[in-house]
Amino acid sequence: MFILGIFLLLLLFAIISFAVREGAWKIATVESLLILVLTAIYAVLRFTSYTGGFMSVSSYPVDTSIGISFSTGVSALSMALLFLSAVVMFIAIFVSGREKFNRSFYGLMLSTEVGLFGLLISRNFLFFYVFWEAIIIPVFMLISIYGGKGKEKAALKFFVYTQIGSVFLLLSILTLFSFYGTAYHTFTLNMGKLLNTAFITQYITGPNPFWTDFLLFGFFFSFLVKMPSFPLHSWLPDAYTSAPYPVSIVLAGAISLMGGYGFFAVLLPITAVIGSGIAWAIILLGIFSLIYFALVAMFQTDMKRMMAYASAASMGFISISLGIGILSSGNVAYLAVTGGIFQILAHGLIMSLVFSSLYIIKNTTGSQSNLTVSGLFREMPIISTFLLAGVMASLGLPGLAGFIAEASIVLASYQVIGFIIFFIIFGMIITASYHVWMVQKSLNGPYNENLGKLKDGTKMEIAVLSFLFIIILVLGVYPSLFYHMIFMYVKGVF
Amino acid sequence: MNNIFLNQYLTVMYPEIFLGLVAFGMLLMGKRYHDWKVYTGISIISLLIAMILLLLLDAGNETFYGGAFQINNFGLYFALIMIVSSLYVALSAGTVLKDNPEVFFATFLFVNIAMIIAAFSLNLIFIFIAFEGVSVGTYILSAYGKSRRNLEASAKYFFTGIIATGFIVLGSSYYYMATGTFNLISGVPEKGAMLIALVLLFVGFGFKLALVPMQQWAVDAYDGTSNPVSAFLSSGTKVLAFFILLRVFLVGFSHFYNDVFYLFVIVSIITMTYGNFAALSENNLKRMLAYSSIAQAGYLILVIAVVSGSSSTFAFTVAIFAAMYYSIVYIFMKGGSFLSVSAVNKDKVEINDLEGIGVKSPLFAVSLAILMLSLAGIPPTAGFFAKYYLFLSLISGNLWWLAVIGILNSAISVFYYLRVITVMFRKNDSHEFNLGSSVMLPLVTAAILTIGLSLLIFAYPQLSSIVGGLGVVR
Repeated sequence: MFILGIFLLLLLFAIISFAVREGAWKIATVESLLILVLTAIYAVLRFTSYTGGFMSVSSYPVDTSIGISFSTGVSALSMALLFLSAVVMFIAIFVSGREKFNRSFYGLMLSTEVGLFGLLISRNFLFFYVFWEAIIIPVFMLISIYGGKGKEKAALKFFVYTQIGSVFLLLSILTLFSFYGTAYHTFTLNMGKLLNTAFITQYITGPNPFWTDFLLFGFFFSFLVKMPSFPLHSWLPDAYTSAPYPVSIVLAGAISLMGGYGFFAVLLPITAVIGSGIAWAIILLGIFSLIYFALVAMFQTDMKRMMAYASAASMGFISISLGIGILSSGNVAYLAVTGGIFQILAHGLIMSLVFSSLYIIKNTTGSQSNLTVSGLFREMPIISTFLLAGVMASLGLPGLAGFIAEASIVLASYQVIGFIIFFIIFGMIITASYHVWMVQKSLNGPYNENLGKLKDGTKMEIAVLSFLFIIILVLGVYPSLFYHMIFMYVKGVF
Repeated sequence: MNNIFLNQYLTVMYPEIFLGLVAFGMLLMGKRYHDWKVYTGISIISLLIAMILLLLLDAGNETFYGGAFQINNFGLYFALIMIVSSLYVALSAGTVLKDNPEVFFATFLFVNIAMIIAAFSLNLIFIFIAFEGVSVGTYILSAYGKSRRNLEASAKYFFTGIIATGFIVLGSSYYYMATGTFNLISGVPEKGAMLIALVLLFVGFGFKLALVPMQQWAVDAYDGTSNPVSAFLSSGTKVLAFFILLRVFLVGFSHFYNDVFYLFVIVSIITMTYGNFAALSENNLKRMLAYSSIAQAGYLILVIAVVSGSSSTFAFTVAIFAAMYYSIVYIFMKGGSFLSVSAVNKDKVEINDLEGIGVKSPLFAVSLAILMLSLAGIPPTAGFFAKYYLFLSLISGNLWWLAVIGILNSAISVFYYLRVITVMFRKNDSHEFNLGSSVMLPLVTAAILTIGLSLLIFAYPQLSSIVGGLGVVR
C-alpha cells in the first residue's frame, strides 16, 4: 500500500505542477524531493531484512476473464531503480532552476516520473506496457518543445525508434499470453505467472521453436532500443544533443534504466531457461557496443555528445552481464547479474552528476565544446571538481559506485569467457583515455581568457551535487547497501 | 392482434418511425423558423428519444420479416453508437451550416433511420436499402454549403457512389443465384456464383469504407465538404460500413471463409500501407486525416481476417470485441479531429497553419494531441486498448505475421500524427484561430472520452457475451 500511496501522490504532484501559476520550479523541486524521501523511507522500511522475492504485493482485478488486473510488487531490482529514478528526477528538476522553464515543463517531468514509478511497480504486463509507452510521450514533448537546434527531428526520431521497439514488446507480450492460454486454458497477463520457470521450460522451448525466437527477438529489440545498444542507437546523439540538459539527465539516468529493467525483470527469467543459444550473441553485442561507443566518443569535441556516447558505452556492460548470467550458474551467475543491475544504478547516478556539472558549465560559459572551454579549474573550482568526480566515477575508479559494478561483471566474465575479457578491458581503457582527455582539455591547462570572469555554482547547487556525489561514494565503499538485496533477488530468479 | 399499434412488426420499427415523423415535421417547420438552434435542439432531443426507444425494444434475438430483421444486443450496440456519433456531430453542425438548417437536420435524421435499420438487418435487401439511405443522405449532406468545392466534392462522391451501388445490386443478384435467398444465413451455396458475389459485394460495400482501391473519393470528399460533414462521413458512416462488412462477409459467406480471408488480408495490408504512406507526405490537414482514416479502415478489416482465418473461439470473441471497441473509440477520435480543423478559418488548412496554437490555447493543443496519440494507438488512450484487443486476437488466432505487419504500420503512422503535435507547440504568433465554444466543446469532449473509454476494458465480460449477435455460428 505504501508504494501505491507514493505512486498516487506522485500522480497528484504531476497534476499540481501542470496547474500552478507561480513558482513552478520551486514546487516541482519540493515535490520531487518529497518523493525521493518517501522512496528512501519505503526502502528502509521494507528492504532492511529482505530475503528475495517481491514486497508490497497487491492486486486489483480489472477483467479476470482475460487476466487483466492492476498488480503491484516491488523486488530489490525495482527498488534500486525506483530509488535511482527518484534521485535522477530530483536532480534534473533541481538543476533546471538555472533556466526558468514554465509549468508544463515540470508537469511533463513529473509525468515522466509517474510513468517510471508505474513501470517499476507493475506486475501485470498490460500495465507494464502502458507505463512503458506512457513514458515516451512526456519525454517526446520535452525534447520537441524545450529542445535546442533540430529539436523536432530529434524528438521524432526518438519517438519512432522507441515506438517501433515498443510494438515488438507488445507482440512478445501477446505471444507469451497466448502461449499461456494454450497451455493452461486460462488467460493471464500476470508477470509472475508468465515468467514462471516451470511454464517457460515446459511450454515455450519445445513445441514452437519459431515462436520462441519471435518472443526473444521482440523483447530484445525493444529493450536494446531503450538502452540504447548498437545497432539501434542512432536516436541517441540527436536526442541527447537537442534535448535541454535536464532532459538529457533524464535520458541518461532514467530512460536507459528502462532498457536495463526490461533485461533483468523480463528477459532474465526467460533466457535463464531457454537463452543459452543466444547468450554469446548478447555478450558479443555488449562488448562490441562498449568498444564501438567508446571509439565514437573519443572523436567528439562536444562534451555533451561525448558523455552521451559514454553513457551508451557503459550500458554495454549490461548486455555482457546478462549473457554471462545465462551461460553460467551458481555464484558466478549471481555475481554477473548483480553486477549488471548495480551498473544500471551506478550509471544513472554518475551520469546525473556528469550532466548536471556540464549543464552548469554550459550555462555559465555558454559553451560545452572542448575547443572553447579550457582551464576551468581556475574560475569554477567546485563545479569542475564535481565534473572530475563524475568523470572518474564514470571511467570506473575504485572507491566509486561504477567500479563495483564493472568489477563484478569482469570477474564473473573471466570465469565464463576466459581471455575474451581482454576486449572488455580494451573498451575500458579507451573509455578511461577519452574521459581523462576531456578533463585535461576542459578543466586543466591554461584558462581560456575569452570566457571572462565566471561564477561558480550556487550554494544550493553545491549542496545538491555533494549529496549526489556522497551517494556515489557510499555505494562505492559500502556497496552492500544495495548490493546485498540485489544479490538476494537475483538468487531467487535463477 | 387487433390493435395495429401493438403489432410486433410495427413496434420493432418505432424508433425509425419516430425519427421519420420528426424529420418530416422539421421540413414543414422550415417555412416559418430559420434558426439553426431550434433544429439542433429538436434533432438532439429526438435522437435521444430514439435511443430510449431502442433500449426499450426487447432484444431477445427474435427475428422478424421472415428472418430479415433481428433485434439483438449486438445490433443494438452498434445502433446506439451510430446514434451517439450523430449526436456528437449534430452538436457542432449548426454553427457552421447556417442556411436552410431544417434540410440539413432532416436529412441527418433520415440517415439515422437507415443506420438503425442496417444495424438489425440480416438480409441483403434490407442492408442494401439501409446502405442506400445512408448514401443518398450523405450525398445531400456533403453538397451542403455554398462554395464550388462543396459541390465538386459532392458530385465526385455521388458519381463514384452510384457505381458502388451498381456493384452491390449485381453482387446481390449473384448471391441470390447461388443461395436462392437474400437472407445472409443460408444453406450451402454454389461456389462459382458465390465468389463473383463476394468480389462484387466487396467492391460495393468496401467503397464506403474507402478500402484500396476504392479509396480516392474519400480523400476528395472529406477535403471538400464542411468539417462537421466530414466528421460524420468519417465516423458514423464508416462505422456503419464496417458493421455491414462484418455482417455480410462473416455471416453471408460463412462457407467461404478461406476466400474471404485471403481477400481481406490482401486488401487490409494494401489499405493500411497505402493510407499510411500517403498520409506521410500530405501537408493538407484534412487530406492527411482522410488518408489516416483509410489506414484505420485497413486495421478495422483485420477483424474480418481474424474471424475468417482462425478457428479459435477466443480469437473470435476478442476480435469482435475489438471491432466493437474500435468503433466507438473511432467515432470520437476521428470525428473530434475533423471537427478541430474548424479552428483555422481557411478553405484549405495546412498542418502548418496550426503553428502557435499550443501557446494560444494549451487546452486545444493538448486535446488534439490526445486524439492524435489515440489514433496512433499509444497508451494510455482508448485507441491503444482498441488496437491492443485487435492485435491480441491476431496473435491468439495464430496470425502473428499479420500482427507484425499491422504493428509496423501503426509505428509508421506515428510519424504523421506526431507531426501535428510538434507543429502545434511551435512558437508562431502570426496565426489567428477560431477558438469559440463550437470548436472547443466537441474537441474537449472527444479528448476526455478518448481517455475515458480506456475504462471500457472493464466491460469485456459484458460486451464479449453479446458477440454471438453478429450471427456467426461457432
